[in-house]
Amino acid sequence: MNIRHTGLYKNFGAYAFLLVVSAFVLFPLAIAVSQSFMTNQEVNRWPPKVIPTEPTLEGYRAVVTQQDIRLDLWLRNSLLAASGYTLAVLVICSPAAYAFARLRFPGNRPLFALLLVTIMIPGQVTLIPNYLLMRDLGWLDTFNALIFPGAANVFGVFLLRQFFMQIPLELEEAAVLDGAGYFGRFRHVILPLSTNALTALAIFVFLGHYNDLFWPIIVTSSLETRTLPVGLSIIQSSYAGQYRPMILAGAVLSTLPILIVYALFQRRIIQGVTLTGMGGR
Amino acid sequence: MSTLNQRLGGPRRLSLPFSASLKNREIIAAYLFLAPFLIFFSIFFVRAAISSVSISFHDWRLLRPSTPYVGLDNYIDLFDDDIWWASVEHTITFTIMTVTGTTVLGLAAALAVTRPVRGQGFYRVLLYIPQLMSVGAIGLIWNWLLSGQFGVINYLLSFFGVRPINWLGDPNLVLPALSLATIWWTFGFPMLIFIAGLQGIPEHLYEAAKIDGANGRQAFWYITLPLLRPTILFVTVTGVIGHFQVFGQPYIITGGGGPGRASWTVIIYLYQNAWVGFRMGYGAAVAVTIALIMAIITAFQFFVISRRVEY
Repeated sequence: MNIRHTGLYKNFGAYAFLLVVSAFVLFPLAIAVSQSFMTNQEVNRWPPKVIPTEPTLEGYRAVVTQQDIRLDLWLRNSLLAASGYTLAVLVICSPAAYAFARLRFPGNRPLFALLLVTIMIPGQVTLIPNYLLMRDLGWLDTFNALIFPGAANVFGVFLLRQFFMQIPLELEEAAVLDGAGYFGRFRHVILPLSTNALTALAIFVFLGHYNDLFWPIIVTSSLETRTLPVGLSIIQSSYAGQYRPMILAGAVLSTLPILIVYALFQRRIIQGVTLTGMGGR
Repeated sequence: MSTLNQRLGGPRRLSLPFSASLKNREIIAAYLFLAPFLIFFSIFFVRAAISSVSISFHDWRLLRPSTPYVGLDNYIDLFDDDIWWASVEHTITFTIMTVTGTTVLGLAAALAVTRPVRGQGFYRVLLYIPQLMSVGAIGLIWNWLLSGQFGVINYLLSFFGVRPINWLGDPNLVLPALSLATIWWTFGFPMLIFIAGLQGIPEHLYEAAKIDGANGRQAFWYITLPLLRPTILFVTVTGVIGHFQVFGQPYIITGGGGPGRASWTVIIYLYQNAWVGFRMGYGAAVAVTIALIMAIITAFQFFVISRRVEY
C-alpha cells in the first residue's frame, strides 16, 4: 500500500483523469438524451443547443406511433432471441464441458485440442452456408435462425470446463457413494456449484447476441421479426435527414432496458465480464 | 495419478474401483453428454466451414439455379479487385487506430480506478456503460454527434477555433471518426481486463521498489508494465480479432460504408457482394480469405506471446 499513496493530493492525477474520462463517456449520452426532448427545428440549428428551451415528448411520441417503427416488438424479439440463444448455449455446452472435464473416454484430449484450434477460425466462413441452410430449412425470418446456428459455443465449453475442473472431486465421490449416476453428479453436484460460471457465461453470450447485427440483418426480413439493432439501423436509414429528435428518442428508449438491468446487477455483470474475459482464470 | 492428470490439464479421475463395465458406462455417458454439442457443432460449424470452401469454387448466384464450377476464378477476381484491397486497407487502418485507442484508454482508466480513489466502484460501473449499448444505439447517436452541419463535436471544436469539419463526408476523416466512436463504445472491456491484471500484481513488489528508492513513475515502467505484458498482449489480440470484423459502425453511421466506399471494411465488402449483389460463390471466397487473414494474424500474435513472455 506504501507506494500507492492515499489522499486527494497524491491521487490528484487519478481524480483529474477519471473526471475527464467520465465526461468523455457521459457527454454523448447526455447530448442524446437532451436533444431527444427537442423539436426538430431546435435540433437543426447552429450553434447546436445543448439544453431544450421547452422540453417536448414529440420525438418519443413519434417513435412509438410511427407505422414502420416497432421498438416494442424489436425489443421483445431481441430479448426472446437472446434468452433462447443463451439457454441453448448453456444446455448444449455445459454437459459437453462436464464430459471434457471429468469423464474418461477415448479421444477426450485430441477432441478438445481440436475444438480449441477452431476458435482461431472466424465465424464468417460459416455465414453463407448457414444462410443457405436456413433458407432450405424454411427458417429464414424465424427465431430458429437467430437461436440455433451459434448454439455450439466452443468458448462456452472451454470456460465451463476450466471451471468444472476446479470443483473438488471428493464432492462427486460422495454423490457416487449415495448412488448417483453420471447425470446425477452433473445435475446435483457440478451445476449447483457452478452458478457463478454459468451466470458469467450467460451474461457474456446474452450481451453478444443482443448486440449482434450482421446475422439478424441477413436472416430476418419482415418488420415483425427484426431485432433491436437491425430496427435501429432501419430507423437511421429511413429517417436520418428528417426527424432527428425521434431517432435520438429511439436510441434512448432502446438503451433504457439494458441500463436498468445494469443498474440492478452491475456487480454481477462486471464480475461476469471479467471472468469470461479472462477465460475463466 | 489424479494429480499428474490434473497438471496435464486432462480430466481428473475418481478414485473409485473400476471394472471394465464401469469403464464402458463412463464412455457411453461421455458421448451422451457430448452428443448435443457435437451435433450442433458439426452442422453449423464443421459442415458450414467446409461448404464455404466448396461454394467458393463455384459461380453461385442466389437467384440462379445453376452453379457451375469455376475453380479459382472467384479468388482471382478478388485479388484483381481494387475495391477489395481498399477495403482491406480501411480495415487495417481502422483496427490499428481502434486497438491502440482502446488499449491505451483502457489501461489509463484501469490505472486510475485501481488507485485508492473515492468511488472506485462507481467509476468502474460508469465507464463500462457504453460497452453495454447496442451498436444500433451508438450508431444513431454518433452519426448525429459527428454531423458536419449541426454536430456537437464540431461545436466543441469551435471553441478551439476549429472550423466545422465534415467528419462523415470526408474520405480521409471518416475512418478516424468511426474509430473515435468505437473507442468510446468499447474501451470498457480492456479496462476491466486491465483492472484484473493490475490486481494480480503482488503488492510486495511495489514495497520492495519503494525501499529501493523507486518513485511512482519508475514503479510503473519497471514493475507494472512488464508484469502486465501478458494482459496487454491478450487485450490487443482479442481487440484485433474483434475490430477487424467491424461491420455495424460503418453500416449504420456511414450508411453502409460511405462516403463513396471510403469506409468499406472487409465485412462490408462481404455483405455487399453476398447479400446485396447475391454473389454467394464470390462471397464465400471473400469469407474464406478473411478467415485466412485472421487466422494468420491470430497465429502471429500467439507466436509473439509465446516467444516474448518469459518470467
